[in-house]
Amino acid sequence: MTWLLQLYPARWRERYGEEFRAVLAGQRASLSLFFDVLGGAVDAHLHPQILRSRAKPIKGDDRMTLAMLQRCAAGGAKLSSDDRRIASRVTIFSALAIAVLYMVLTKIYREAPPVQALIYASAPALSIVYAQTAYLRRRSWRTQAFILGGGLSGMYLFMLAVCVIAKRL
Amino acid sequence: MRVIAMVPKTKDAELDDFGRFSEPALLILVSLAEGPRHGYSITEDIEAIAGVRLGPGTLYGALARLESRGLIEPLKSEDRRNPYRLTALGERALRSRLNSMMTVARTGHRRLASA
Repeated sequence: MTWLLQLYPARWRERYGEEFRAVLAGQRASLSLFFDVLGGAVDAHLHPQILRSRAKPIKGDDRMTLAMLQRCAAGGAKLSSDDRRIASRVTIFSALAIAVLYMVLTKIYREAPPVQALIYASAPALSIVYAQTAYLRRRSWRTQAFILGGGLSGMYLFMLAVCVIAKRL
Repeated sequence: MRVIAMVPKTKDAELDDFGRFSEPALLILVSLAEGPRHGYSITEDIEAIAGVRLGPGTLYGALARLESRGLIEPLKSEDRRNPYRLTALGERALRSRLNSMMTVARTGHRRLASA
């Protein structure tokens, strides 16, 4: 299960990777362990500021973490007006795209669970899109894809499961 | 375990902002109160004292937060297992939190006895 370590940010792996691997090796593989490690990876991506900067010279990707750290130093992350403007535009565009997609799919498939799930998942999905665009805009594409893709897919699959179960009741 | 998060805030309420990591963080501080330990040893100790086995994701999420707040610090080690120890700030935060919990526990016992 040590392959899950690859889901953690590079800087995090550099700091805790070895000891994390040692602790992981001492535990029996299970579903709860899998989700614990997965949850830790999501947390490490969402809260890069919890890594304390050390004496090592700061370069490359680390600069990004430091910038996040500085922005989060007091009262949480502060967004620039540019961040907010871009995030708002992307969110509005996404909302329109989802609305059009929903109308087209409803016309074709009527009230099929995958179509219903789309509209139910849209509200939380838009907040994920806004947060991703605003807070993670300067992060690597891999981090953005991991958080956005994971968040949206998870949200849609959850709503799909709810719609399928509701239809069968 | 949930009651830990409900303890009233104190002036040394460093653990209050840890969210879901506040309980594991408290258990880690209790474990380190006996002396420096590395990650695996902390997990074993917590299982022995609280009956909870922390997964590595939770353990290192809490350790990173405690370290970033200066409540614990890593010690140099040749081994890949880095030991951690409580700092003076960590000791104060732990003492303060345990006192708050003791106040709640005493009040609860007193009220149960008089009920």
